[in-house]
Amino acid sequence: MEPAVQVENLVKRFGSFTAVDGVTFAVERGEIFGIVGPNGAGKTTTLEIIESLQEPTLGRVSVLGLDVHSNTGKVKAQIGVQLQASAYYDYLNLKEILALLGSFYPSKTEPVTLLEQVGLADKSTNRIAELSGGQQQRFAVAASLVNNPELVILDEPTTGLDPQARRNLWGLIREVNQRGVTVVLTTHYMDEAEILCGRLAIMDHGKILALDTPRNLINQLEASYTVKLTMDQPMTLAQIESLNGAVEIVQSGKRDGEDVVMENTYLLRLANSPIALRAMLDEIAKAGLGLENLQITPVTLEDVFLELTGNELRD
Amino acid sequence: MVALIFANLKMMARNRQAIFWALFFPLMLVVVFGLFDFNGVGVADVAVIDQSGGPRAALFRERLDAIEFLDLEFEEFGPGDGRRKVEDGDLGYLIIIPELFDDPTGQAQAEGPAPVMILYSTRNPDRNQLVDGTVRNLVSDIHSDGSPVIPSLLLTADVIQVLEVDYFDNVLLGLLGLGIMTNSIISIAVRISTFRNQSILKRLLVTPLSIWKFFAAEIMAHVLLALVQAGIILALGVFVFGGHIHGNILWVLAVTILGSIVFLNIGFVLSAWAKSPAAASGMGNAVALPMMFLAGTFFSTSALPWVLPQLSLALPLTPMLAALRDIALDGEPIWDTWPYLAALCGWVAATALAAVKVFKFG
Repeated sequence: MEPAVQVENLVKRFGSFTAVDGVTFAVERGEIFGIVGPNGAGKTTTLEIIESLQEPTLGRVSVLGLDVHSNTGKVKAQIGVQLQASAYYDYLNLKEILALLGSFYPSKTEPVTLLEQVGLADKSTNRIAELSGGQQQRFAVAASLVNNPELVILDEPTTGLDPQARRNLWGLIREVNQRGVTVVLTTHYMDEAEILCGRLAIMDHGKILALDTPRNLINQLEASYTVKLTMDQPMTLAQIESLNGAVEIVQSGKRDGEDVVMENTYLLRLANSPIALRAMLDEIAKAGLGLENLQITPVTLEDVFLELTGNELRD
Repeated sequence: MVALIFANLKMMARNRQAIFWALFFPLMLVVVFGLFDFNGVGVADVAVIDQSGGPRAALFRERLDAIEFLDLEFEEFGPGDGRRKVEDGDLGYLIIIPELFDDPTGQAQAEGPAPVMILYSTRNPDRNQLVDGTVRNLVSDIHSDGSPVIPSLLLTADVIQVLEVDYFDNVLLGLLGLGIMTNSIISIAVRISTFRNQSILKRLLVTPLSIWKFFAAEIMAHVLLALVQAGIILALGVFVFGGHIHGNILWVLAVTILGSIVFLNIGFVLSAWAKSPAAASGMGNAVALPMMFLAGTFFSTSALPWVLPQLSLALPLTPMLAALRDIALDGEPIWDTWPYLAALCGWVAATALAAVKVFKFG
C-alpha cells in the first residue's frame, strides 16, 4: 500500500528565502508522525504544500497515493486539516459549523457524532466564543474529522493550552489514530512529540535534521544524563572543563570578558555511566569546591532537539 | 452551496449590530425626508403666449408679472410646444391670452368674452389651486371695467393628467439605491476582511469547496438581503409616508439585484486591499459617501457645479437610480431603460474582473 504521505525533494522558495530546502520523508498509514522544529523551520510550509494550500517550487508530494498537484480536489476530499490559526464562523453554533463544513464533502459524519467523539455533545448549540481554549482545540479536531478522513493533519494542536487540556487532547488524538486514521502533527512541545508520535522529523532551516522514533533519537545522543550542579561559589570555565566525565557544558557564559561562569548553577551532560558521575564528584572534592545541590535526569527529546537546532533564541 | 447560502443568511441575521446599522441608516433617512414638506407652493414657473397683443393683454401680463410667486417668462413657442413642456414637467403653467382678448367687437360676435386658457398638469395639486385661483381673479378683475361677465367663462383650465410624482418619490428611490449601495459595499468588504483576518477563508480553502461557489453563495445571500432591504424601504416610504410607485415592482427589484451585484463586487475589491475590517469599513464609506451625493440620490445632478454632472455619469449608482426612477416613477417597462441596464451590466463585468484579479484568500 502507498504511504499516507510521500514527500520527495520538496523545495519552497519565497523570493530569495528558501523555506523548505530539499525535504524527503514518508508517513506510513496508521502512524502518528510528528514534525518538530523552531519557529520558521519550514514545518507549516511543508504541511501547507501537503494540504495543497501552496504550490511547491520543486519536488513532488503525494497523499494517499494521489499526486497533490494533479488531484487537488480528491486529496482535499480525503484529508482532514486543522490549521495552526483558524477561526470558525462567529454566528453559527458548533453543530451548524460542522454541518456546513460537511456539506462541502462527498462523504461526511453527523455533527452530533463528531461532537460526542470530542466530548462536546453538550455544547452543540454553543458558539465558538463560548468555548474554553481546550474545547476550541477539541472542536478544531472534530472539524478536521468531518469528512471521515483517512489522514488528518494537525498544525500545533495544543499550542496555548494548559497541561490538563493538552493531555486531554493527546488522548483524543490517540483515539482518532486508534480508529485507523493516520495523523501528521507539528508541535513545539517535545514531551508531546515524545509521548504521541511513533516517528519524528526534526526540522530546521528548511531541512530535516533527523528522522526516527523518539527513543532512537534520544539514544543517538552521546550523553545520556543531564546533571545540574549548584555550587557555593562561581566556577571558572577551566574548572568546569576539567570536570571528568562531562560531555558537554550546556549552560555557561562569560562576565565582562573574564573566564567566569555567570551563575552558581551549571548544567552538564554526562555519558551513560555511573563512573563518569563518580569521577566528576571526585574532581569537585579535589578542587575544594563546595557542592550545594545535585540533580541527575535522563536526557529527553528536548535535549536532542537543542543538540540539533542549537540554543540560540529564534524569532 | 445551498447550505452555504443558508448559513450566510443565518450569520447575517444573527449579527444584529451589523443588520441594525445596515437597515437603520437608510431607514432613518426615509423618516427624516418623509417628515419634511418638500411640496410647499414655492415659485411657479409660468409661460405666457400672448395672441392678442392689445393694451388689455399688456395690462394683464403686467399684473401677472407683479405676482411674487409667479416666475413669468414670455416664450416664443406655440401652444403645442407649450403643452408638451407642461406634460414633460419642464414647465409648470402655460397661459394663453386669446386673440379676441382686446377685441370687444369680436367678443360680442362670439357672444361672450374670449376665455384665457391656462394649462397645467396634475403634478402639484396644492400649487395648481393657488395659481388657478389667482389667475382667475386677475382675469375677472381685468374684465370688470366692461360689461358684467360670468367669471367662470373668463378662464378655461386645461388640466393635463400625469402620473403623480413628487420630490419625496424621487428621494425614496434615491434612498433605495443608497441603502443597497452602502450595505453591499461595506457589508461584504468588512465581512470578507474579517474572514481573512481570522483565517476562515484559509480554512475553507482546505475543503473541496470550489472558489466560485464561495463567491456565488456570498453574492446570492447578500442579494436576497438587498431584496428584503428594498422591500422594507419601499413599504415604509409608500405606506407610511405616502410615496408613489407607478411602475412594476418586479422590474424595480430586478434593477436592485443588478445594482447590488455591482456594489458587492466593489466590496470584494476593497476587501482585498483592506488590511483589517475597520479599514474595510472606512474604505467602503469613502467610496459610498461621495457617490451618494454625486449620483443624484437626493438632488438632481444638473444642480452640481463644474464638471461634476458629467462625472456623475461615470458612477455606477447613477444608471441604477435613473433606471429605478424611470421604472418606478414614470411607469416605464424595464426594456425602455436599456441604456442604464447596459451601463450596469458593464459595471458588473468590470467590477467582477477586478475582484477576480485582486482578490486573495490568504
